[in-house]
Amino acid sequence: MKLAFAGPDGVIILILYAVVMLWIGYVAGRGQKSLQKSLSGYYLAGKNLGIIALFFTLYATQYSGNTIVGYAPTAYREGFSWLQSIPFMTIIIAMYLMFAPRLYVISKRKNFVTPTDWISYRFQSKGVTLLAIFLMLWGLGNYLLEQLVAIGHAVAGMTGGTIPYQWGVIAFVLVMLAYEWLGGMKAVAFTDVMQGVVLMIGVVVFLGGAFYLVGGNFADVTRQIAETEPAKVAVPGWETSINWFSMLLLVGFGAAIYPHAVQRIYSAESERTLKRSFARMAWMPPLTTGLVFLIGIIGISLFPGLDERGSEQLVGLIANQVASINLIFYWVMVLFFGAIVAAIISTADSVLLSFSSMLSNDLYGKYINPDASEERKVKFGKIGGVIAVAILLWIAWNPPATLYDIFVLKFELLVQVAPAFFLGLYWKRLSAGPVFWGMLTGAICSGALTLSGFGTLWGIHGGVIGLILNLLICVAGSYMTSVSTDHQRQAEEKMAMNL
Amino acid sequence: MSDKVKEPIRNKWIWIGLAFIVLAIVPWYWPKGALQSMILGFPLWAFVSTLFSLILCGYLSWLCLHQWHLVEDKEEAERRGEGDEG
Repeated sequence: MKLAFAGPDGVIILILYAVVMLWIGYVAGRGQKSLQKSLSGYYLAGKNLGIIALFFTLYATQYSGNTIVGYAPTAYREGFSWLQSIPFMTIIIAMYLMFAPRLYVISKRKNFVTPTDWISYRFQSKGVTLLAIFLMLWGLGNYLLEQLVAIGHAVAGMTGGTIPYQWGVIAFVLVMLAYEWLGGMKAVAFTDVMQGVVLMIGVVVFLGGAFYLVGGNFADVTRQIAETEPAKVAVPGWETSINWFSMLLLVGFGAAIYPHAVQRIYSAESERTLKRSFARMAWMPPLTTGLVFLIGIIGISLFPGLDERGSEQLVGLIANQVASINLIFYWVMVLFFGAIVAAIISTADSVLLSFSSMLSNDLYGKYINPDASEERKVKFGKIGGVIAVAILLWIAWNPPATLYDIFVLKFELLVQVAPAFFLGLYWKRLSAGPVFWGMLTGAICSGALTLSGFGTLWGIHGGVIGLILNLLICVAGSYMTSVSTDHQRQAEEKMAMNL
Repeated sequence: MSDKVKEPIRNKWIWIGLAFIVLAIVPWYWPKGALQSMILGFPLWAFVSTLFSLILCGYLSWLCLHQWHLVEDKEEAERRGEGDEG
């Protein structure tokens, strides 16, 4: 499929977006020499993000271009049961509420930079820390890979192949690295404001165009689907309901403890800023995944009978029709596709920054050269990040078939770190041994289930089955391990907020 | 802890409320495969599910603002102090 606006117009808009991002990165880093010399300065914007930057960086990081390009086709294929994409994005806020208030207080007191800082502080165990680092880097790496693949497809699609897939990825990775190196988290958060705004506006206008194409009447659309493909409108079966519950658990726990998500808790300038940002975030799923869901449903009426491969092109197909309405819609669609690229980059930059911070602070700072200066640690993370991207790019040349499958894969392993936060913050009996064995068993179980083709069992995701096993080992193991009162008192002190 | 200090995890009613909303969102309680009447272009089950999804958004947003209060007073007092000095 060729986009109606593929070619010079698409190229111009992409260059424009790239220039704006570089400019914002330059402004964010200008005159701030100390930024490069401090871990919390570079990776957490000096723990001083205000409400606008914090809200938009939470938003633009959580909602990628994939949310549009990948979720609309899923709504197309599954019909109304894809409504689950609204609650599973909302439930993330509930999960934050379980641990963020306390973690924020402790992180300020102990000056945490990465999620691993909490884990090593709480459990004082090399095994737990290294396993958690491994699982989180694995999850982040997979997530970053997914974003890189998406950048390539979006750029190639938008320019009609004028900029080939590989060159598209390389060009935008260079832009991303440039502004990230200039301004660290501050640059990432400030570009997120721009990227978040264009994404929000883009989705609304795109839905408006799609509505125009079907004559503005959603009831007619559903009626037509009910006649031709009744299964997409009918009450879903048991397995789908179980799958909803499972997805709520998997995405809720997984997305809330993403390293870059946890680092946004650390970056807030105050509790007031953090809770107000989360309060606004709670309303974003209906306005983002909810609208994308409607686009997918309208797609069933506009382009009936697409197979799985064909449906993956849905957003492009609709955009072509919207662009042909008139010249204004044409240019809005060009801007919208640029916004999709920008939204993918806004997610990728946060993931890369988080990845680098774990290399700097956790691997290098805790184990390789703990005595190094913070400036040197930051430098290690920057270079390590570039090497990681180079390896991922090599993998990205052979991308997997559909976007959704890899989305589930990354949560399966990452979610196993959850008990160290959700139980570790409140339960003083929880000890290092059971946490280690729980995490390892959960990761092996969910990895094996997924790799052997059992991504879900009776609708329950492999990651959730692994997590349940993990939790059982943590709880039973901690009750069976004898922990001295001295040890428990130490744990209690670490969990305390000292209000 | 003073009375004003609020930590969401300590209040079990928050989580009981959340469980009820989630149970209402997931469409497990409808007859399977039934084709239902439409409301605003949504089949009845999907309309109810969306309605409770919106209630979930409002509930969580409210919880963030009103049931989470740990160090806010201290931080804001410190900020005001800094402002006065500046």
